[in-house]
Amino acid sequence: MSPETLELELACLHAAAFGWAIACCAGDRAAAEDALQASYLKILDGRARFDGRASFRTWLFAVVRNTAAELRRRSALRRLRPLAVLDDTSDERPDAATVLARADASRRLLAALATLPRRQREVLHLVFYQDLTISEAAAVAGVSLGTARTHYERGKAALKKLLKEEPE
Amino acid sequence: MTDRNDSDLRDRFRALRREDAAAAPPFDATLAAARARRVAPPRRPRGWLAAAAVAVAAVAVALLLTRPDRHGRTIDLATVRWEGPTDFLLVLPGDELLRSIPRFGRMNLSSLSDRRTP
Repeated sequence: MSPETLELELACLHAAAFGWAIACCAGDRAAAEDALQASYLKILDGRARFDGRASFRTWLFAVVRNTAAELRRRSALRRLRPLAVLDDTSDERPDAATVLARADASRRLLAALATLPRRQREVLHLVFYQDLTISEAAAVAGVSLGTARTHYERGKAALKKLLKEEPE
Repeated sequence: MTDRNDSDLRDRFRALRREDAAAAPPFDATLAAARARRVAPPRRPRGWLAAAAVAVAAVAVALLLTRPDRHGRTIDLATVRWEGPTDFLLVLPGDELLRSIPRFGRMNLSSLSDRRTP
């Protein structure tokens, strides 16, 4: 794939990729932008290559997911260093500006999602937010179809229950 | 994949998607920021590696040159006698008799008392 085509494809999927990056970074917008930039850089530098085995969108989402996980691990390591706590206040929760900018319904949805295990959250986001099939979600999350289906069913049931319990 | 009961959930996620899309940074800006992150690769500590390699080589050479008996110790094979742990099995009782000439009327008692049985 030529660099021009690659950029065009990335531009088409940018908004969706940003939404996915936010989901991968537990709602932290700054971390999501960071992860997205790092992902684009990986792709443009050829460190992540599209081999055509999956759709471009599935592949891009997998790259974003892996990059966000790398950044998260790096950030966790930084926090382990002495005095690092003074310059790193990130605790995987959305920043205040992001929370304030959200509508009430979205805030409730995000709060409910935050209580779910990561895998369930990811699969639900990919299916409901990104309109992927469970099979595509499994490819992005790097799990088998059966596992993704289990996460989907359990996550959906838990999310419905949480949203039902919450006062409107 | 989803049934009708999921429509509420789907609507909520769609609303979330609209909000995220509205707040998404422009693609060009993200791409420019990504390119700006492309920094020169960190300089490898090649100088230190070379210095360390030279130091290790120097120590190795010094050890080789200052080692006593560096030409190898000569061993006089004629003075070496090795005895195997099972050599006693080859010692026959009364083999002293076989190495001496028997004489009539005389008996070597010392050789007879030295008889060993395996």
